[in-house]
Amino acid sequence: MLAPIVSALIVWSLLIAAYFILWNVAQVLMAPIAALYLRRHQLQQTRRARALATHLAAPPLVSIIVPAYNEELTIVDSVSGLLALDYEASEIVVVNDGSTDGTLALLQQAFQLVPASLAFIQPLKCAPVHGIYRSVADPRLVVLDKANGRCKADASNAGINAASGALVLVIDADTLLEPDAVTRAVLPFLEDPTIVAVGGNVAITNGCRIEDGRITAITLPRSWLARFQIIEYMRAFLLFRLACASLNGVVLISGAFGLFRRDAVIAVGGYDQTAIGEDMDLTIRLQQHFRRRGEPIRIAFDPHPLAWTQVPEDWASLESQRCRWRRGLLQVLWRRIGMLGNPRYGVVGAGVLPYMSFFEGLGPLLEIAGYLVTAIAAMLGLLAWKYFFVVLLVSVFFGTAVTLVAVLLSDLATRRYMSGPDLTLLIAVVLLENFGYRQIVSWWGCVGTAQALTGTDGGWGVMKRRAFKSA
Amino acid sequence: MIEAEYGSGRLALELIQASAVFVLVMIAVVVWERTGYAIGQWRQRRLERRYQSLIQRALGGDDDAVRALAASPARHRLALLVQLITPLIENRDPGRIARTRVITQGLAFFSVADRYLRSVWWWRRAIALRAFGLMQIRERTGAIVAALDDTHPAVRAASLDALTDLQDPASMQAIVVRMHDATLQRGRRAAALGAFGQQSEEFVLELAAIDPAHRLNYARALAVCGSARARPVLCQWTADDRLPVRAAAFEALARVGLDDEAVGVALEGLNSPDVSVRAMAARALHGSTGDAVTARLTSRLDDAWPVAVQAARSLRSIGPSGLAALRATSARVDLAGQLARQMLWERERA
Repeated sequence: MLAPIVSALIVWSLLIAAYFILWNVAQVLMAPIAALYLRRHQLQQTRRARALATHLAAPPLVSIIVPAYNEELTIVDSVSGLLALDYEASEIVVVNDGSTDGTLALLQQAFQLVPASLAFIQPLKCAPVHGIYRSVADPRLVVLDKANGRCKADASNAGINAASGALVLVIDADTLLEPDAVTRAVLPFLEDPTIVAVGGNVAITNGCRIEDGRITAITLPRSWLARFQIIEYMRAFLLFRLACASLNGVVLISGAFGLFRRDAVIAVGGYDQTAIGEDMDLTIRLQQHFRRRGEPIRIAFDPHPLAWTQVPEDWASLESQRCRWRRGLLQVLWRRIGMLGNPRYGVVGAGVLPYMSFFEGLGPLLEIAGYLVTAIAAMLGLLAWKYFFVVLLVSVFFGTAVTLVAVLLSDLATRRYMSGPDLTLLIAVVLLENFGYRQIVSWWGCVGTAQALTGTDGGWGVMKRRAFKSA
Repeated sequence: MIEAEYGSGRLALELIQASAVFVLVMIAVVVWERTGYAIGQWRQRRLERRYQSLIQRALGGDDDAVRALAASPARHRLALLVQLITPLIENRDPGRIARTRVITQGLAFFSVADRYLRSVWWWRRAIALRAFGLMQIRERTGAIVAALDDTHPAVRAASLDALTDLQDPASMQAIVVRMHDATLQRGRRAAALGAFGQQSEEFVLELAAIDPAHRLNYARALAVCGSARARPVLCQWTADDRLPVRAAAFEALARVGLDDEAVGVALEGLNSPDVSVRAMAARALHGSTGDAVTARLTSRLDDAWPVAVQAARSLRSIGPSGLAALRATSARVDLAGQLARQMLWERERA
């Protein structure tokens, strides 16, 4: 009676072990690829190279799109920071997406907005625009007041419609940009005509001192939740995305910072209002559109921190965010299943999407199943407890080492959290992340999967934001 | 049972050991790298403090300071060169550039830079080229031009940067003949050409006369460096068989300005079946006056969006008659009316 169960457990355990080995091998292989890309990028993007934008008689106009829904805590600081960027050929289009708080009133007061006429056609679908305001204080600022479209995609589309720049930079309302962020991001467009979009490394503002919309001191936050997310962001941005960029297979440009060719975004229909992960959905559709037509496409990624964003510091907001990310990932992978393994889509179809499906799609499920099955087998006496701990220890150690590789890359790319105490704390965070936090995040991945399969709409949830001054 | 399947306890122990060693090695690497960086930063700050006042005096014309810098230990020279040359990226004051040249000669700049230029490492070649450019060392113009054919794209880009900074007329021809070289970064090609302004126009026109196949590139170049001298040629190109050439010619005309004949050509361009040609023709009419111009531009406010935008902007620029046309249109509720209201609002606030 027990024999088939034992056999199934053996097979399952072996599968989990094989998966675990493969995942680690993939991570270790990614590290040198990412490091090479980083090194090449740093050698090429010298200060003189970046000065190209100032040497051009007519640098490309960049429209910075800021979708804002109930952002009264941060919007004025954000817009002030944007108006002070060192790239002069820019306009700022804030899209007030039917906010119910004082977002619009604060903008009107701070930037002397007056009703104005702005003519634009609407190649992209979006909810109706009720009012258009322009700043008397700075004519580069335009504010669209529109009906709530129930998603960031709708507000972004409205902003892209109204944009007059050939390039559109879509950011979050609580994103702070580095003063030279736009100059850095524009550079690849000046160098390579096949560039369609540029993504940037996104860093975390929690714990930082912010004055007049600028980061003036970078320290680790007090919240352990925020500290764990810093480590996660390092892994995501400086390992996987750098490796993807090195292979010209970027499939995700973060919603917090993405510079796109406006005509390319319009050609693929803009942001999809039905997509949960609208940023990833757009990036993959761009890859699909150009590769299907056999047209050259390159999506670049800048490992330098170009943008700063807040991360949730409470469990409920984080759970809601992670479940949404999970549903978004699964939705995109399902919608683009035709690209999976298809060599017509180059490295994206043949490499990146299969990797994401196998490791990121299945990862949380297999991890949780692995813990459960091994523990149950040990409890039933089918497996010696010491092997449970062997699996656990090896998993923790390898995970820690891979994260330390990401920390090293982050050091090389960004030089953040460089003090001795911060380093000690960072290493502690890397170790402690494996005991509880990682498992909880994987569990949320399972919850998100269940929501995706049952069609449950967990919504965006409400992230508890803090004003920048107290971040 | 399963215990046997997992293999011996020794293997498990080795696995744990291996993964633990991996962690320890990574911690050591992170700490080592951070320590190395901190030491490098500390050394750099120390050198900056030590030489800052000397450099300022040397840049101010103090020959004793120049000699003192020249007598600095050889191990400090690279850092000193970086400290002297890097500010030239932003500060292009000719006096400072000349003074920096004098100071760096005493620091054996040429022997370092020439060694870097021959290096097998591409980034060293790129550094040397950019340094030559920033300090406008015309003795190395030949080497910089030769680097336009380097095997590494980043070195070719650095070479264009250097030529942009160098502004040596002897290199102009080399830049112009490479306008079609797609292996050179397009933004840098434009910047290098733009650095010479109208000086390069003559070369562009000469080459264009014997190379009609690349007329599109020449038209784009004239949009950067063209003057009234190029106008007749550009007017001819507005009748080229290739629509992109026509559009680019009108775009260049928008820069060089129109005379009476060219206004007629631009008005004719508004009848083109191609949207981009019509849009650029409307743009070229920016600042032109006359009833015919006003009437034709006003009629284009109902055209395709790119044409309507350019027509509205040109109407805004042509004085009372254009404003009157915009006011008349602003009463409309359609897109043309909105466009007219926007132009009037912008005009009022300008």
